[in-house]
Amino acid sequence: MTYTLKKLFMLIVIISLNACGGDSSSESNDKKDNSNKSEQVTTNNHAFNITVNDGLAPLLINQPDATEHLSAGLGTTNMVDQNAYSQAIEAIVDEPQLDAVFKAGDHTFRSNHDGQGPLFNNSSCQGCHIKDGRGQVPSTADEAMSSMFLRIGDSLGNVEPTYGDQLQVFGTINGRSGGVIAKYRGALDEGLAYGEAYTWVEYERVTGTFSDGETYELRKPIYKIKDLAYGDFIDDVQFSARVTPHVYGSGLLESIPQQHLLAYADPTDNNNDGISGRPAYTSHPVSGEKQIARFGQKAVTGSVLQQIAGAYRGDMGVTNSINSAEPCTDAQTACLAQAERENNKHHNGVDLNDVDLAQVEFYNRTLAVPKRRGFDVSTQLWQEEILAGRAQFYAANCHSCHVPRYKTAQAPGSVLGDVDLVSLSDARTNIIALEQQVIYPYTDLLLHDMGGSCVVSKELIDGQSCNEGEQCIYVQRCEGLADGRPEGEATASEWKTPPLWGLGLVQTVNPKATFLHDGRARSIQEAIIWHDGEAKASQQAFINMDKTQRTALLAFLGSL
Amino acid sequence: MKNIKNIALSLVCIGVLAACGSDDKKVAAPVDTGQNQGNVQTDETTVVHPTATIESVVSANADYAFAVYTDALHSAQSLQEAVDKFVASPSENNFMAAKQAWLNAREPYGQSEVFRFREGPIDALTKDEQGNWTLEDGQGPEGAINAWPLAEALIDYTQDMDGNQSRGNAQVYQAGGNIILDSVSFPQITAELIREKFELDGEEANVTSGYHAIEFLLWGQDLNADLTYTAQRDYTAGHRPITDYYTSANLPSDEANGRTCTSGEQGSFNEICERRGVYLKAVTQLLVEDLQAVVDAWRPDTGFHYQEYVKAENAAANLGAMLESMGRLSFGELAGERMSIAVRTDSQEDEHSCFSDNTHRDIWLNAKGIRNTYLGLYTRVNGLEQSGASIHNLLITKGHEELAVKLKAALDSTMGKVLIIDEIAKSGMSFDVQIQNAEHKEHIYAAISALGEQTDLIQQAIDALDVSAEDLKQDTEENI
Repeated sequence: MTYTLKKLFMLIVIISLNACGGDSSSESNDKKDNSNKSEQVTTNNHAFNITVNDGLAPLLINQPDATEHLSAGLGTTNMVDQNAYSQAIEAIVDEPQLDAVFKAGDHTFRSNHDGQGPLFNNSSCQGCHIKDGRGQVPSTADEAMSSMFLRIGDSLGNVEPTYGDQLQVFGTINGRSGGVIAKYRGALDEGLAYGEAYTWVEYERVTGTFSDGETYELRKPIYKIKDLAYGDFIDDVQFSARVTPHVYGSGLLESIPQQHLLAYADPTDNNNDGISGRPAYTSHPVSGEKQIARFGQKAVTGSVLQQIAGAYRGDMGVTNSINSAEPCTDAQTACLAQAERENNKHHNGVDLNDVDLAQVEFYNRTLAVPKRRGFDVSTQLWQEEILAGRAQFYAANCHSCHVPRYKTAQAPGSVLGDVDLVSLSDARTNIIALEQQVIYPYTDLLLHDMGGSCVVSKELIDGQSCNEGEQCIYVQRCEGLADGRPEGEATASEWKTPPLWGLGLVQTVNPKATFLHDGRARSIQEAIIWHDGEAKASQQAFINMDKTQRTALLAFLGSL
Repeated sequence: MKNIKNIALSLVCIGVLAACGSDDKKVAAPVDTGQNQGNVQTDETTVVHPTATIESVVSANADYAFAVYTDALHSAQSLQEAVDKFVASPSENNFMAAKQAWLNAREPYGQSEVFRFREGPIDALTKDEQGNWTLEDGQGPEGAINAWPLAEALIDYTQDMDGNQSRGNAQVYQAGGNIILDSVSFPQITAELIREKFELDGEEANVTSGYHAIEFLLWGQDLNADLTYTAQRDYTAGHRPITDYYTSANLPSDEANGRTCTSGEQGSFNEICERRGVYLKAVTQLLVEDLQAVVDAWRPDTGFHYQEYVKAENAAANLGAMLESMGRLSFGELAGERMSIAVRTDSQEDEHSCFSDNTHRDIWLNAKGIRNTYLGLYTRVNGLEQSGASIHNLLITKGHEELAVKLKAALDSTMGKVLIIDEIAKSGMSFDVQIQNAEHKEHIYAAISALGEQTDLIQQAIDALDVSAEDLKQDTEENI
C-alpha cells in the first residue's frame, strides 16, 4: 500500500510539472489532450464509474480540474478571512438592483423581529449562523445553548406530543426582558411561557490509536435535559443535538439537477462498496410537488425557502406565510396564551411578511463560497501537500459520499415571486448567477447510515436512576453518530452527507466553532475518526494512514 | 425646490468654467449664488461643455475625496474639542455645543460615503504585517467609523425596548450589563480598548464605536419625551440628561438643583459617570484617528492611494469604480438599507441616526455625494466650491449627451425627493415619525423609486463609457 501511494505521489509531481510547463496553451486544447489520453490509456484514474450527463470531463483522482480552486465557479469569493462566508456572489454585487435585495436580506438575517417567540432558540438568523457560518457549543454547562439545540421526538419518528419537534430553550414572559429560560413546571404551575427545558452537554474522553501508534482523544457527548417547564416527556423520548450549519452556497446546492444527485444514489448497494446512499423526499410547501430533500441535517427540506421558513418558526418563533402557526403545541397552553399577546399587526396575522422572507431567501441563495487556498493562480500550481492529500481523499473513498463536483442547471426565481426593495411581483426570474456553474461542494446530499445507537435514561445528579421530580434529569448516551431519533425519511442512525466546501475556514470565521452535526469534534481529524457505518472502511483507511498521509489529507480538507 | 434647482444649475456652470480654465491646479472659488442666479439662463444657453478625459475625471474625483475626507476630519476634530470641553465642564452650553459639533461633523462625512463599495481606503485601509498601510477589502475602518445599528445596550444603560438579546455569558451581556458599568471586565476604557472591542466578541451586531456611539452618548436612547418607549413614537430625539456626565470633579458651580451623577436606573455612582465621560472622549479620539488615516491615504502629495488612483493606467478601472459606487450607494445602501427597511418595517432601530433624529440629513447627504461625484462638484465646509472635470462632461465629450442629460435630470429629481424628507423633518416631523404615517411614507417610497431610476441610468453610463463591471472584475483577478 505504501509503495503504490508513493508511486502515486510521484505521478502527481510529474503531472504538476507538466502543468507548469504547458501553462500557456489554450484550455480547450488541454482538455482535448486530457480526454484523449485517458481514453487511450485507462479509465482507472476516474473518480466514478458512473456517467453523469453534465457535459464535464470525468473527474480524475490523480489530477485536479483546471477550475478546482474555484469552489463554486463564478459563485466563488476570494475573501478568506473571518468574513469569508458573508460575501455575495460577484454577479449579484455587480447588479445594483440585486445587490440591494441581497443587502436587504442580509439586514433582515441579522435583525430581531417583532412577534418572535413565544418559544425560541435565538432571536435572529445570524445569532445561530454566526457570521453566516456554524454555531457553537456553549463553553460551559451554565451557558444556555443559543446556536445549537436538541430536536425531540420518539424512536419511531413522531414528534413529542407536548414539546413538538425541538426544544426551545428560551420563552417569553411579559415584563421580563430577554429570553426566559426554563423553570421546572413553570408553564404548568404559573401559566407563563417559560423556555421549554434547559439542555446541556457533558463530554466523556475517549482515546484511541492510529495504526502508526499515535494516539488521539475524542469527546463523546452526553446530553442532559432538566427544568421541564411543560411537564414530563413521553417515555420513549429521543433527542437529536444539532449545531447550526453554515448557509453559504445553499442556492447552488439547490440548483443541482435532481437526476445528477440520483445518479450517485445506490440504495441497495449494487456496486458492493458498502455505501448505499439514498435520497430523501419531501413535498414542496407551496406547490406540493415531490422533490429531493437537500437541506437539514437529516434531509427534510427540499428548498432554501422551506428551510428558512421552518427556521423562522421553529428557531425564532417568527411565523410566516409558509409556517403560519406559532411554535406551540396544543398542549402548551401557556405558550398559546402568550402567543395571543404578540404584536401581530404587521402582516396578515403572521410575524414576517413575504417581502422579508423572499429577501432572506435571496440572500441565502446568493451567498458565495470561499475559494480554495493553496493554489497559486499565477503559476497554476497546487501546493504539493494538498495534491498528496487529494490523492488520499480519493484513495480512502471519501468521495463516494462527499461527491466533489456538479454542474448547476436552472435556478428559478422564488415561488413567492421576484422581490425588490419594497414589493413582490408575479414574475419569477431565474437567478442567472447560480446557473451553469461547475461547483465543488463535496456532498451527495443523500442519506447514509453512519452507525451507532442511543439510550435515554432518567437519572439523579449522582447517576442513580429516578422516575420523576425536579431532580430527575433526562440523559441521552449514544454510541457513534446515531441520534436515536428518525426524522423525515431518515432512520435513527442516518445522516445527510454535509457539504465540505469552506470547511477549512470554519474556525477562521468562528474560532469557537467545532465539527459534525452536534459539534463534538474539535478538529477535522476528530470528525473523520467519528465516521462509522457506511463510512467504516474510509475511516479505517484514515486510521491506517501514516502521519505524512494523514497530515496531507488534513491539509487537503483544510484547503476546501 | 425651485431654488435648489437654480443653485444646482449655477454650480454646474461654475464647475464647468473652472474645469475649463485650469486643469492642473484645482482652485477653489467662492460660491456666489446670489450674483450668478441672474445669469443662469444665459450661461446655460451659451456654455460649451469642456472636453473631459477619463484621466481628468478620475483626477478630479481624487481631489474630491481628499477634500471631503479632510472636511470630515476637521469637523471630527472640532467635535473632539467640544466633547473634551463638555466632559471637563458639563454645562448646558457645552452640551449643546457638543451635539451641534456632532451634527456638523455628519455633513461632510455623509457626502463622502460615495467613496465606499470599491475597495478604497474607507473599506479596505489596514496595516500589513510589516506595519505599512495597505488595502485589503473589508479590513478598512468604515465599520468602526459608521456602523449601525449600534449595540447601545453594550455601551451604556438603556431602557429595554424589545429585549430578547440572549447571547454570550459574560457580565456585559447580562440584562443591564454594559462596558461603562462593567469595570471588572473593562478596567480601563481607552481608544485602544474600544478599537479592539468594536465588534465585541466578533459579533457583527455588537458595534461599540463610531459616529453613532458618540451620538448615543450625547443624545441617549430615542425614547418619548416622557422617557417611555412605545410603538407609537413622538417627535423628540434622545433625552440623555446632562447629569449623566456630572462627577464629583466637574460638578458645575452653578448647579442650582443639587443634582449629581445619574445613570438611568443603575443609580448614581460617580465612577460610572466618570467612565461615561472617558468612553465618550475615547470613542471620539478613535474616530479622529480613523479619519486621519483615510485622509492620509488620499493626500495628493504623499498618499499612497491617491497616487495609485490617479495613474493613467488605472483611470478606466477607477472611473468604473466611481460609477459602481454611485450605483451601489444609490440603491443597495441608501434606497435599501437606509430607507426601505425602515419604512417597510416601521423600525426605528433601522433608522440611521436614530438617537439624534438626524436621519433626514444622512439621506440627503448621501444623495448629494452621488450627485457631487457625477458633476465633479463639492461645496466645502468653509463654503468654497471645488470643481473639476466631470462624468457629465465626459459623457457629452464621448457623444452621449442624451444620456448625460437624462442622468443629470434623474439625480436632480432624487435631490428633489430627498429634500422633501429633509424639509418635513426640519419642520419637526423626524424620519422615524415619517415612516409611521401613510402620507409621508409615500414621499419616502418616491425617493426610493427615484434612486432606482438613477441607478438604471448609472448602469447605462457604465455601458456607454465601456467601463463595465466585467472589466473591473478582470482587473481584480489580475491583481490577486
